Amino acid sequence: MALSVMIEKMSTGFEKTCSIFFLTLLFALPLGVVIALLRMSKSFVISRITQLFVSVLRGTPLMLQLLAVTYGPFYLFGTSVSRNKLIPVVIAFSINYAAYFSEIYRGGIESISVGQYEAATILGYSKMKTFIRIILPQVIRRILPSVTNEIVTLVKDTSIAFTVSYQEMFTIGKQIANSQTSFTPFIVAGVFYYVFNAIVGFVMGRAEKAMSYYKQ
Amino acid sequence: MKKLIALLLATLMVLAFAGCGSDNGNNSGNSAGRTFIMGIDAEYPPFSYMNDAGDYAGFDVEICKAACELLGWKFEVFAVNWDQKLIQLDANECDCVWSGMTILDSMKEAGYVISTPYFDNTQVLLVKSDSGINSSSDLAGKAVAVQLGTSGEALLNGDLAELKDTFGELVTCDSFLKCFTELEGNAVDAVLVDYPVAKSYADSKGDSLKIINEELGAEQYGIAFRKGDNDTCKAIEEAVQKLVESGKYAEIASKDEYKEIVNNLIFLNNK
Repeated sequence: MALSVMIEKMSTGFEKTCSIFFLTLLFALPLGVVIALLRMSKSFVISRITQLFVSVLRGTPLMLQLLAVTYGPFYLFGTSVSRNKLIPVVIAFSINYAAYFSEIYRGGIESISVGQYEAATILGYSKMKTFIRIILPQVIRRILPSVTNEIVTLVKDTSIAFTVSYQEMFTIGKQIANSQTSFTPFIVAGVFYYVFNAIVGFVMGRAEKAMSYYKQ
Repeated sequence: MKKLIALLLATLMVLAFAGCGSDNGNNSGNSAGRTFIMGIDAEYPPFSYMNDAGDYAGFDVEICKAACELLGWKFEVFAVNWDQKLIQLDANECDCVWSGMTILDSMKEAGYVISTPYFDNTQVLLVKSDSGINSSSDLAGKAVAVQLGTSGEALLNGDLAELKDTFGELVTCDSFLKCFTELEGNAVDAVLVDYPVAKSYADSKGDSLKIINEELGAEQYGIAFRKGDNDTCKAIEEAVQKLVESGKYAEIASKDEYKEIVNNLIFLNNK
């Protein structure tokens, strides 16, 4: 098989890899905020339940969670397995990544000194306004490097979707490697992932720069 | 700190040398007492699988074990990642791939030593009994599942490419169990699979599943050895022939759990 044909075939799978990536970010980034806020809730019960939830999601393999979301309902209740695998894949990825993001957010929010809240109260800022106008911009700047880390990992983790037979790029690479008894598709896949991550790194670098007006 | 690093490096070196030692042991010809590592797909009953006790079992495993006993070799099993089996074989993680493996021309072209075939296999379609699918022509526009790295998948990319083009979607899974789960969960309409695997699964599910046998791409199973490892291949082939002559082969094949495959065993049917 010519290299060009190989790349063309894997590009079709790359679209699916991108769908997992962007949809997961779309849902996981905001969901992480919700989880972080619940985790920091004043109610002991809510905080503890969220803590347990996060600990389970971080403490079990993503592959296992993917299997549970995709095939779990079938084995437990006999419902149909989804024909469009993108749905269970994005659900599992979003919940898993939201758990990680939530802890990054929490770390960022808790790193802001109490003095800033007190000053804001004295200046007459409401709680909501304090958070959005004063706290959040600083938090975003502080957590960006950690968030980049997670996003880069997400790019590579998309290959796990093969576990539930979602035909993303790495799956197609494996299929070609198998039928051609060749190692080349894996090298092509490596280049695909690296270039994708180089772009992610560049974009996040620009974002960090844009936020650096807060330079302390 | 320096001492700690030195200690760590020393440990690593010892481990590295230990690794060399065992490698040499594996490759030191075919004298009695060598360790022979059999590479299997641990999810491929009844040829090779993990039994209720957690041990590797199956027809291929039993035959290989008996052959190693005959040769005086130490027998070990290594569960390979099926879609990377040949890479793992090259990497010396196992000494052969022997697990209901279909002989492909591409393997021979790549230089692997392949034994004489011992099993004749046919691909069949497994569908739900109430699906209304009665032949491969009914699959137009439907979703079909196949396991990655199996002969069924190779067939769809080769001789059956025209049939594949009529499918609505081809879903590749990483194990047969997933293919079957997709079928029972209505995510796909049919599974292209080796006959014995389809038969034993369909039987375990009562009347809910049925097999469509159009003798698609009849083919054969063999054992793969590393490039240039003709000696090992020959030794194993001879040992297996001795098992056939002594009746031990037929004795193993006559076990109840192998009743689906016994008719396809070449060595028994030629007698």
